[in-house]
Amino acid sequence: MPKTYKDLAGDGGSNIVGQVTEQLARLRARMQDIRNKVAVVSGKGGVGKSAITVNLATAVAMQGAAVGILDADLNGPSIAKMTGVRGQWPVITAEGVQPVRGPAEMRIMSMDLLLPHDETPVTWRATTPTDAYVWRSSMEGTALREFLSDTIWGALDCLFLDLPPGTDRIAALADILPGLTGIILVTIPSEVSHLVVRKSLALARNLKIPMLGLIENMTGYDCQYCQTVGELFRPGQGPRLARDFGIRFLGELPFDPRLARSGDSGIPFVAIHQETMTGRMFQAMARELSVAIGLGQRNTQKEGSDEISLFKLR
Amino acid sequence: MKFLCLSCDEGMKLETASGPHDGSLEATFVCPRCRYRVAMLTNPWETQLVQTLGVKVGGRTAPASPYEQVLGSLLQSESEGQGSGGDEPTSPACPFADMLGQTEPTASLSSVLWTDAARVRIERIPSFIRPMVQRAIERYALELGHQLITDGIMDEARSKLGM
Repeated sequence: MPKTYKDLAGDGGSNIVGQVTEQLARLRARMQDIRNKVAVVSGKGGVGKSAITVNLATAVAMQGAAVGILDADLNGPSIAKMTGVRGQWPVITAEGVQPVRGPAEMRIMSMDLLLPHDETPVTWRATTPTDAYVWRSSMEGTALREFLSDTIWGALDCLFLDLPPGTDRIAALADILPGLTGIILVTIPSEVSHLVVRKSLALARNLKIPMLGLIENMTGYDCQYCQTVGELFRPGQGPRLARDFGIRFLGELPFDPRLARSGDSGIPFVAIHQETMTGRMFQAMARELSVAIGLGQRNTQKEGSDEISLFKLR
Repeated sequence: MKFLCLSCDEGMKLETASGPHDGSLEATFVCPRCRYRVAMLTNPWETQLVQTLGVKVGGRTAPASPYEQVLGSLLQSESEGQGSGGDEPTSPACPFADMLGQTEPTASLSSVLWTDAARVRIERIPSFIRPMVQRAIERYALELGHQLITDGIMDEARSKLGM
């Protein structure tokens, strides 16, 4: 009787296991100088996740921490634009790829920095165009691993990962990055958004991924003329959702048109509007997050605690 | 994947590996006892599977280069996507070779001039955010066809860009 696969020594000569082990070793070596890896996720798109990533990261960096942002939304990259580094190109060396420097000396890497033209879509080489889409998910996983392991991040207090929308992304990231510190979930106070974000929360809980907190965006609107916050959706939904899942409620953000414009201009809102309600909320959330991941001490002020309400700020 | 020489009941050894060519990887195996040789040819899906894992059939002779898969597997333009496809993904002629290593591609931004007053104002902005503000104002000015940044342009940019 012929031998079976297990009877033959080795793996056929390609040492696939060795190659994969080497990939993981490279990833671990790169990640060991990064104290915290925090993913910002949402169930649905359009909730302001990338804008929150940029401003939260900037606020943490403004506190004196060494911060990086990896734009893990490979197909819809926006971090380079929002941090004003679009047009700069990463420098490749034998040791890895140097990220570009953004506001507050943040180290930034995005697929956007590698695409030659504005209109160039992210399309992978394949035998046929159909195959390129079939294999997209696998290629994205490989690309994300390379962005993590081949970028010369250096020593960071916190690396923020801006994930594309979708519940499945959390599982994929946890598979690639075992040392994930935790995730921050972003939602808006609509039942539709909460319905989907509950799935993300449940999945994260099943996968035993630490949940660092929930942020509710577009909780009311900040009227610059009458200095009040008006309601957009039914208030109070975010804290309730956080309580349901037993996670920290990091805060709620009002809709502020200046925040959207700052994304287009490439200057993080929190860097130039620190005294506004939204700016103060970002700083409070950054303090709260810093405490959660061991970067700073809890601020004695009530602002930024679980009890803070946007509608009480003014 | 392993190959067994049925005549000798012995595992065959990988001899050569190359590709992909036309969407196929080629590997030859030889029986160490009778020297019987076979060739393995992968179909496009098998080839794609290997590529997406970021591994090399036949093993690596050199460490992986940074962003090997990202740079080797991205199509650089839509027109390329309409071609035959199946090119070698790790071609040394990386489509981004000309880009990498440069830091400022837009020479036009550096051609913008600042008045002394505008220069003083920009230098009052905290250093951690100054380069981004400067670039944003220069881009705004260029879009409007201005080559000289004045107080007025700065005021306009502040208002329009929400600074």
